[in-house]
Amino acid sequence: MKSFTYEKVNSPAAAATAGSTTGSAKFIAGGTNLLDLTKLEIETSAHLIDVNGLGLDKIEPTAEGGLRIGALVRNTALAADERVRRDYGLLSRALLAGASGQLRNKATTAGNLLQRTRCPYFYDTNQPCNKRTPGSGCSAIGGVARSLAVIGASEACIATHPSDMAVAMRALDATVETVGPDARTRAIAIADFHRLPGDTSMDLAQAQAAPGVLAIVTADNAGKSARAVTIRRSCSAGRRLSTITRP
Amino acid sequence: MHEGSSVTTIEGLGTPENLHPMQAAFIKHDGYQCGYCTPGQICSAVAVLDEIKSGVPSHVSGSLTTAPEFSAAELRERMSGNICRRGAYSNIVEAVTEVAGRPA
Ligand SMILES: Cc1cc2nc3c(=O)[nH]c(=O)nc-3n(C[C@H](O)[C@H](O)[C@H](O)COP(=O)(O)OP(=O)(O)OC[C@H]3O[C@@H](n4cnc5c(N)ncnc54)[C@H](O)[C@@H]3O)c2cc1C
Ligand code: SF4
Repeated sequence: MKSFTYEKVNSPAAAATAGSTTGSAKFIAGGTNLLDLTKLEIETSAHLIDVNGLGLDKIEPTAEGGLRIGALVRNTALAADERVRRDYGLLSRALLAGASGQLRNKATTAGNLLQRTRCPYFYDTNQPCNKRTPGSGCSAIGGVARSLAVIGASEACIATHPSDMAVAMRALDATVETVGPDARTRAIAIADFHRLPGDTSMDLAQAQAAPGVLAIVTADNAGKSARAVTIRRSCSAGRRLSTITRP
Repeated sequence: MHEGSSVTTIEGLGTPENLHPMQAAFIKHDGYQCGYCTPGQICSAVAVLDEIKSGVPSHVSGSLTTAPEFSAAELRERMSGNICRRGAYSNIVEAVTEVAGRPA
């Protein structure tokens, strides 16, 4: 594991500034994905900016009857929130289908949306992987690919985005809000947030491409009582097929 | 990141002279073999019972709008993040069930 420096900031704009001025910096929230990747030297950030404690851990009602979910709200807290359980059962169910209790207690809304793929070859640094090392090839094509994409794949990469929660957010047409170094906010529709692999195997979400810290996710579609049907596979957590039935 | 947080480990739950009820139940029901996973199993079991009490739902909760209740299925789901290489699961379930059944 490579050494890195660590910084705590006190506002979303300060986080965004630190993120854009320090080369190879990463935000750290729950750390449940970033630290695993750091230990494997797949992520090699020289600087970590701690976004915990920015006051982004609240769930607030919107004027339109929806909910503004702070980026640092933990997965357990979001799934257990009375309003989410009552009006967004789909979101609760999707969160509860993911990972384990311990992980959900640490994992945040932002980190969950921005977690990287769980393609086994991406994690195995002995294997070529276009996502890890662009141009090296894709080991998953022709390999063990049962957990990978059937649609939305490309010739360069067949990885899926592993977030169960993102599927529910997409069904709810949520909006993601980021804060830039100038403290200005930018809204991104969840439909535009994650990119398909294309020919470069890019998986960087829009928010990662521009300097900014993810601050709020808004869901305004209460009453869309769609239910996530998740097919759990017994072999290992993190490989799951999700489908959505919409009313 | 846990700068400034206080963290309770197995040593903070009880002492050999004054065991936490969950520790005592694990001994009574032989909820371990090598003991490697036991501190985590016990700390998780204590937290799992607290979470059920505070109304946190799980993947197997039938309803999201009523309070979850302790059951073997709830326990297995909620403890699924703790792996026991020696398969002491059935005795762990017995130990935690006994503690759950005690008047609070
Ligand atoms: C064993 C295991 C099983 C799992 N199973 C599942 C599963 O079944 N379903 C599922 O959906 N997920 C699963 N996960 C993944 C888990 O949900 C994610 O690891 C978690 O949600 C990440 O959240 P975090 O807060 O810990 O993110 P971190 O690890 O802290 O960060 C992840 C990424 O997000 C970025 N980031 C974090 N916060 C911000 C912010 N505010 N603004 C901008 N960027 C930010 C970080 O820089 C990093 O790139 C599993 C993980 C493990 C380890
Ligand atoms: S599917 Fe994508 S992440 Fe997996 S090995 Fe191929 S390029 Fe890498």
